[in-house]
Amino acid sequence: MKDTRGEQVFYTLNYIVLSLIALSCILPLLNVTALSLSGANAVMAGRVGLWPVDFSLFSFESLFKGTPIVRSFWNSVEITLIGTALSMAVTIMAAYPLSRKQFYSRRFFTMAMVFTMIFNGGLIPTYLVVQKLGLVNSYGALWLPGLVSTYNMLIMRSSFENLPKEVDEAARIDGCSELGLLFRIVLPLSKPMLATLALFYGVGYWNSFMSVMIYINDTVKFNMTVLVQNMIKSTSLVQDFSDPTMVSNLTPEGVRSAAVIVMIVPILAVYPFLQKYFVKGVMLGSIKG
Amino acid sequence: MKAARTVRGPVFRPGDKVAKHRTRQQALRRFKSNIPLLIMFVPVILFYVIFRYAPIGGLVLAFKDYNFYDGVLNSPWVGFQHFQTLFQDSRTLEIIRNTVGLSLLSVVFGFPIPIILAIMLNEVRNMGFKRTIQTIVYMPHFLSWVIIAMMVTTVFSMEHGIVNNLVEKIYGEPFAFMYSKGSWIAIFVGSGIWKDMGFNAIIFLAALTTIDPSLYEAAGMDGASKLRQIWHVTIPGIRPTIILLLILSMGRVMEVGFDQVYMLQNSNVNQIADVISTYIYRTGLQGAQFSLTTAMGLFESLVAFLLIFSANYIARKFNEGLW
Repeated sequence: MKDTRGEQVFYTLNYIVLSLIALSCILPLLNVTALSLSGANAVMAGRVGLWPVDFSLFSFESLFKGTPIVRSFWNSVEITLIGTALSMAVTIMAAYPLSRKQFYSRRFFTMAMVFTMIFNGGLIPTYLVVQKLGLVNSYGALWLPGLVSTYNMLIMRSSFENLPKEVDEAARIDGCSELGLLFRIVLPLSKPMLATLALFYGVGYWNSFMSVMIYINDTVKFNMTVLVQNMIKSTSLVQDFSDPTMVSNLTPEGVRSAAVIVMIVPILAVYPFLQKYFVKGVMLGSIKG
Repeated sequence: MKAARTVRGPVFRPGDKVAKHRTRQQALRRFKSNIPLLIMFVPVILFYVIFRYAPIGGLVLAFKDYNFYDGVLNSPWVGFQHFQTLFQDSRTLEIIRNTVGLSLLSVVFGFPIPIILAIMLNEVRNMGFKRTIQTIVYMPHFLSWVIIAMMVTTVFSMEHGIVNNLVEKIYGEPFAFMYSKGSWIAIFVGSGIWKDMGFNAIIFLAALTTIDPSLYEAAGMDGASKLRQIWHVTIPGIRPTIILLLILSMGRVMEVGFDQVYMLQNSNVNQIADVISTYIYRTGLQGAQFSLTTAMGLFESLVAFLLIFSANYIARKFNEGLW
């Protein structure tokens, strides 16, 4: 069937508007990349648009030499890898029993957990608990209070429940134990969902800001988010720079942009591979709430 | 069928000795398979008790005068004194107003956009184009507010931001977008929408796949234009999802993300940009006024709780409730 005139107009407009929306998501990134790769004079004069002007790696050089970005990068990596592993482990430990029909009082436990999604103690009481446990200024304060996201746990539980019953029964007859069932059948069958939740937890830890600012006092332990935020807020951008000619060549925008690029690259590196999974994960979450 | 029946063994009647034996065996088996599950579950219980329920217990601080030496349990009770202080102070009232105002604006303007985006994506017939657009618009959701705030301030910067370059060409002088109240609110709401519109559209896209394509054909036969088809077929088709998500977002009206406000804030717009979470951080943690800010936190949690309950109550009238 041929499109009517009205439909042609509709489809054309649709393509144009969607392209504009997508451009709005790409252009700021291109602008930041261009700023980070441009010469100081061009940045100062505001001549940098979407393409580097007077290409130079000076912003990156001063970022790596003059700021503790490398250390905070590895701090972020440590926080993210260990945090994600811990969160995934405990979320599985919560979701798997709750997905088993024979588990005692699974309804009660589910209700008790969902309740904490709609009512919570808030910042100060949580801070006092963390302080009482002696976790202040250690990464334990970042990992433990947010160990399980109830929302992610519910997604995982319903995904486990939706696995075909026959596989479960077959494994039973073959004498599979409860833990064997989890490790040999349930987890391998749930790989896409596990990848999704690992991405969600990982991005959360990578971007963690407020918790680091609240619980970590030692600047050596700062992650990139807090370091970059401090760089943006403070006027003295680069510390301990001995060479005065380097300082005169510096632009705050250039160094900030370089820092932002360093923060984005790891996310952009894993994002395309996990994209097809997380769409499923979000959809699963939407169905069972 | 017959063969299957013989394999299943004898039929047990109630009161049968064998049957009793069997149920006890079942109970035992259930218990046995519960042991590893329960052991596995112990850390989970500990986590929820320590980090979710203990802080809820810690809310008693709102009715006490906390001091470091007596601790949470032994500090003296003061009743509703902190609440009185909060609701008599014009500054805290302003902060509550800002919180509700900013998030209501975010809901009102931000809620329809993912729906529109999902409907537009759904109408794209070129799958490659659709996938490319989706990959791009989901991405900002995964960037931290530090990055987005930095981009926003770069784009709207007074000296050489792209937007102000244009404004300068037209009006002769730049405009202080980040420092004027009206434009700050617009940028705040807009950046929130921009970050999450793609990601929030996923759920609506999922709902759209469940609509029967024959409905569109029938509507097309009857001469309905594309926009009329969207109005009479698409939107009713995803109505349950829309209502469900509206409830959830109403429940979050008391919650403006800390990161977004904190990073976009500046002293010029503090009067409208200070919200409960930044207030609790500054006055509570940095100013060590634990009891007063716990009272503020309790007020926030209670209102959020009531909002979710009443939104759900209304939704149940449409048979779309969460519980």
